[in-house]
Amino acid sequence: MNLLEFARGPALQVAVYIFIIGSLWRLLGILWLQKKRDFSERRNGRKIRGALKVIWNRAFTAPVFREATKHARFMGYTLHIGLFVTVFLFIPHIVFFKGLIGIDWPGLPNNVIFFVGVITVGVGVAILIRRMTHPVLRLISNFDDYFSWLVTLLPVITGLIMPIRFGVRWETLLAIHILSVALLLIWIPFSKLSHAFLLIVSRGTTGAILERRGART
Amino acid sequence: MSSNQFDLESKRLSIKEPEIRYDKQGDLSDEERVQKAMANFAKDFGSTAAVYLDSCIHCGMCADACHYYVATGDPKYTPIWKLEPFKQAYKREVGPFALIYRLLGLKKKVTAEQLQEWQHLIYDSCTVCGRCSLICPMGIDIASLVAMARNGMFEAGLVPHELHAVAERAEVDGSPLGVTPKLFEERLEWMEDEHEVTINIDEEQADVLAVISSIEIQKYPDAMAATAKILNAARESWTFRTDGFEATNFGMMSGNVEWQKNTSMRIIDAAIKVGAKLVLLPECGHAYMALRWMGANIYGKPLPFKVQHISEYLADSLNSGKLKVKKVDKSVTFHDPCQISRRGGATQAPRDVLKHLCTDYREMPGGGDYNWCCGGGGGVVTILRADKLRYKVFKLKMEQVEATEADTLLSSCSNCRQNFDDCQSHYDWKYTAESLLELVAENLEEANA
Amino acid sequence: MKDIPTLGDILQARGVSRRGFLKYCSATASLLALPPAMVPRLANALEQTRRPSVIWLSFQECTGCTESLTRSSSPTLEGLIFDTISLDYHHTLQAAAGEAAEAARHAAMEENNGNYLVLVDGSIPLGNPGFSTIAGMSNYDMLMETVEGAAAVVAIGSCAAFGGIPGANPNPTGAVSVRDLIKDKPVINVPGCPPIPMVITAVLAQYLTFGQLPELDRHGRPMAFFGQTIHDRCYRRPFYDQGKFAETFDDEGARKGWCLFKLGCKGPITYNACATMKWNDGTSFPIEAGHPCLGCSEPGFWDKGGFYNAVSTGDIGSGKALAGAAAAGVVLGATAAAMSRARRKKTMKEG
Repeated sequence: MNLLEFARGPALQVAVYIFIIGSLWRLLGILWLQKKRDFSERRNGRKIRGALKVIWNRAFTAPVFREATKHARFMGYTLHIGLFVTVFLFIPHIVFFKGLIGIDWPGLPNNVIFFVGVITVGVGVAILIRRMTHPVLRLISNFDDYFSWLVTLLPVITGLIMPIRFGVRWETLLAIHILSVALLLIWIPFSKLSHAFLLIVSRGTTGAILERRGART
Repeated sequence: MSSNQFDLESKRLSIKEPEIRYDKQGDLSDEERVQKAMANFAKDFGSTAAVYLDSCIHCGMCADACHYYVATGDPKYTPIWKLEPFKQAYKREVGPFALIYRLLGLKKKVTAEQLQEWQHLIYDSCTVCGRCSLICPMGIDIASLVAMARNGMFEAGLVPHELHAVAERAEVDGSPLGVTPKLFEERLEWMEDEHEVTINIDEEQADVLAVISSIEIQKYPDAMAATAKILNAARESWTFRTDGFEATNFGMMSGNVEWQKNTSMRIIDAAIKVGAKLVLLPECGHAYMALRWMGANIYGKPLPFKVQHISEYLADSLNSGKLKVKKVDKSVTFHDPCQISRRGGATQAPRDVLKHLCTDYREMPGGGDYNWCCGGGGGVVTILRADKLRYKVFKLKMEQVEATEADTLLSSCSNCRQNFDDCQSHYDWKYTAESLLELVAENLEEANA
Repeated sequence: MKDIPTLGDILQARGVSRRGFLKYCSATASLLALPPAMVPRLANALEQTRRPSVIWLSFQECTGCTESLTRSSSPTLEGLIFDTISLDYHHTLQAAAGEAAEAARHAAMEENNGNYLVLVDGSIPLGNPGFSTIAGMSNYDMLMETVEGAAAVVAIGSCAAFGGIPGANPNPTGAVSVRDLIKDKPVINVPGCPPIPMVITAVLAQYLTFGQLPELDRHGRPMAFFGQTIHDRCYRRPFYDQGKFAETFDDEGARKGWCLFKLGCKGPITYNACATMKWNDGTSFPIEAGHPCLGCSEPGFWDKGGFYNAVSTGDIGSGKALAGAAAAGVVLGATAAAMSRARRKKTMKEG
């Protein structure tokens, strides 16, 4: 079995299994702890409405905080949008997803994706520098923060190298790219990258509480 | 308390700044303190805390919302950082991967030194105002976690002295300032005379049980008269009870769950005794959180009465016409007590009152739910060693108020009032917070029958 | 020693002009990416070449490779040269049959011991020697016997080079490639299903000229023809880059000649010369005719996920396996929660 067959075969499969197992482990290990009932008289709001509101609106910062957080927000948005575009709007990726879930959607030309990919890596570097130099982030950051940064950017970087080649065979670059995705999948459940699905739970919990109280969500 | 006599602010060449003192209560050994802390942290490690503690992505935005970080630039005041030992304990003991962390030594046990070091962060530099909870992109209610962490700190005997003393007094005497039922009654009678108002004390039955904070009893007694005036004008069947009057809850603020329950139960028992349909909370912020939102859970079942903050009662009564006020011709701005508006959901009530009460109401920039905390809540105003920091963060509030160029600043929390008064004196400021309740009471008009 | 005419003699006798011959040598040299200075040497070598003895062994094959080679549209110079090789044994093309054919093979092996070329098409079954026999001899035995005195072996077509269609899943005959069996002789792989005719003859010509193996890639294929992917030379590459793909056969995109990636084209991972040399004397190649590349010059191309599944289609396991993983996750989550609850209680008690 050559490297590519290993990468897109057993490596990817095992990574997906670990991703599923780890994510459910983490999610249920948290959710199935003690819950407390709230006997206080609710104001008007229903919990589910509050939950959905906050799940939505915490993707945006309240106007009062925008000035203070403008750097963090700019970098965060650019990174996430960049990741979204390069992962979901690149046609060979779309073909991959179609093979998995049977749904197809339009994509963008390859050079646009490449451009977005470069921007994504650029802002990724800026994010790392910020994390290493900003006093607050320097204090609170740990291994998880730095390793997750690496594991998130490796697929983008290895993806960008594929059209550039640097004299390496395309199949080898593809294998490395797929292995970097496998690494990402394995790391997600055990790291801060789980925020991808935990955000629904944490925002929802707070939204439910706030809405019950009639407080600002 | 003016600090003009001794210049404590400017840098000195020879004398080093004294170190922050770390207070301890009791004579437990360090290991015992850690054990107690862990045991009481663990009490709160249920699903909600777990969701929050597992969701932090270290984005650091909470710092940008916290007045302590914004005013000082010191990263240790990052809200989620205040929870580091709490979070560490959770991940090591109760998190989904706790076993792996322990086996591989990836998370260390919390040490006694850590807890001591964190005392300052958990008590001196957090008013549980909840601004951080509103900015967090993961929706983590950071403020509530600090309150939880305080439970462990209390049982470990690691509370700032003054706060502990005040809380203990509240537990033993029924009032943080040592106001006994007898003293309470005396001061009520005094107000009766002063203001020529009928104050109902210890009625057997009443629809409305009014409670009051010790701060008002001792420092702002007019508030008691104002309450009576309002309830009389509204023709309520109401009473104060000397066996259940204390609205403040220092058990909650210091982190003693048992004392918190005792304090709340006094009110609940008194309300049930008189068959009250409504418990009316005074101008006190955390009292609202303690009874309106936490009371039923302390009680273990829904409360058999409604709970309202005085500003909510005033808003309802003015809106319905039960009460009438004449307009005050001054420009007015309002400081929202954190526990009532942002944390409590009663932001609109004072504004409804002010609609009736004044001709020119001015909202502070960034006011309302997002306004800056006054910096005195959560027990901070009791802690002497935290004064310097409290004055520093107050500058943010001053800016916010001054931007309105209003004549008068109003609020409806006497702890905020206390802090405003103290800072007003420290800075020789042109504003301090006046009582919304008292202003309404002063300008009551005869309502149509 | 018989008086064996050289290739030069034969060409002359057939009326091929010197000029025409040199034109052929130039074309071949450039195909092999040899510098122009090599042309005289190539010409000299080919001219002087005695008709080399070539033994063509056919095993588990469909004869498509032979068909490809001989289906030239008109007698070309390549065909003539091929005719002038002493093809001493070839099942399809030889006149002899039975004992006479085998005798011819043995005679060629004896007379040219150490110098003859063995060309193989078709895979060799190891499962049961009876799966494929010639003159009562298993493919394996015939291969080993014939190759013993050979100068070199050329495995023609994907079956001989990699096992091909007989070797495809589940490989019922236990088919293997020439390289799997022959370790002590130089083996050149010229895969393709079938290979491009000009590629075959150019490889032979190079070998005959230099007596050495050309530069081979990791699969033993001459770099000159198998050094680049179809994708890198495909005329439809701009459409790939612009994101213009045919979604189905004969849709608007297909008719406009857009990229066939989504229809399963294996161009990006297939090394061959189809996109440049093309087929039928440079007429066209599969992609140009509207069909995605099958990747036929790659090992195991029959089992590479399906001809109509795109290169980037993934396989992350069956639904059952995923459900199993989910179940495992639920169990672990429940266990973790139970353990946490217990530990919480224990910690609370200790305080």
